[in-house]
Amino acid sequence: MAAMAPSDQLLVSRIRGGEGDAWNELIARFEGRLLAFVEGRLGRRTAGEDVVQETFLGFLTSLPNFEDSRPLESYLFSIAAHKLTDHLRREGRRPTLPMASAGSNSQWEPPDHARAVSSVMRSGERRGMEESAIVAALAEQIDRLKSRDEWQKLACLELLFVRGWANRDVAARLGMSEQTVANFKFEFIARIRTLVRKQGLPDDVFPELQADA
Amino acid sequence: MQPTLTRAELEAYLDEALPQELMATIEQRLRDDVELARTLATINGRRDAGLHSLGEIWRRHRLSCPGRELLGSYLLGVLDESAVGFVQFHLEVSGCRTCLANLDDLRARRTDEPVAVDNRRKKYFQSSAGQLRKR
Repeated sequence: MAAMAPSDQLLVSRIRGGEGDAWNELIARFEGRLLAFVEGRLGRRTAGEDVVQETFLGFLTSLPNFEDSRPLESYLFSIAAHKLTDHLRREGRRPTLPMASAGSNSQWEPPDHARAVSSVMRSGERRGMEESAIVAALAEQIDRLKSRDEWQKLACLELLFVRGWANRDVAARLGMSEQTVANFKFEFIARIRTLVRKQGLPDDVFPELQADA
Repeated sequence: MQPTLTRAELEAYLDEALPQELMATIEQRLRDDVELARTLATINGRRDAGLHSLGEIWRRHRLSCPGRELLGSYLLGVLDESAVGFVQFHLEVSGCRTCLANLDDLRARRTDEPVAVDNRRKKYFQSSAGQLRKR
């Protein structure tokens, strides 16, 4: 799920060309899942539909900057998440953080939306390279596990890296020994490190790759 | 006792990507937990400085998500037994909001009133088609 599917690329290209049918198709394909995503948090259908509407508008606003290498669905969900966050803030449900929030920085905001972006802009290219390298490395390893039906190992790694759980908690949840979890983690980190280095990037960019199993 | 939140979970909170119950718990805690608010602000600061983590990239690119086709097979009960356990784990333990939304949508497509769905889609289209012409 790391790159945009050819059918989605074609759809986006037609939307860029101003084709109403293509825009209708995108709405029909994605609105249901976006509505399910926001409605669960809002608990109200009408408010959910408003957020989805803002999501589609945000997508069109950001279309000139949208990178075709990015999966379309993930992109739409990330816009929906930001719009939902904004909505919850306006309702007073989501407290504002004490410093400038990265949650409000968006290329899908209208062009006149002012924000200090200097640090982000300076590091954007480097960050993009690092992200591409780690996505390729992770995708290769995850696909390998899937093709070998190593689902429990994948579950273990998901809890370790996506949820950030400690080895002992993962072991307890999945009914494994801590040593097995540590072995999975060690082996996975070693492979990712090798793949990242092969792409000419230092592995110290990601602190998780420095962690001891 | 309050659950201990990992850094990866706090990053997911900022991206609106944690299970709903955990999102609500953190929002509640933030009302009087100054330390938690500071930690989240620090994570935001690191992001603004261009730093990122392996976990957030994994989550953002949905690298281990089952995918809609697999979720459809899961819903129909025709998924290979070996993969069913992982899909259940991903939905119920990892609590992937995006996959849960996809599953809810697949279920809704069987039951939702077609006229209501059509009206909703028309509303989205009509409110945005003007922007489309400006591309």
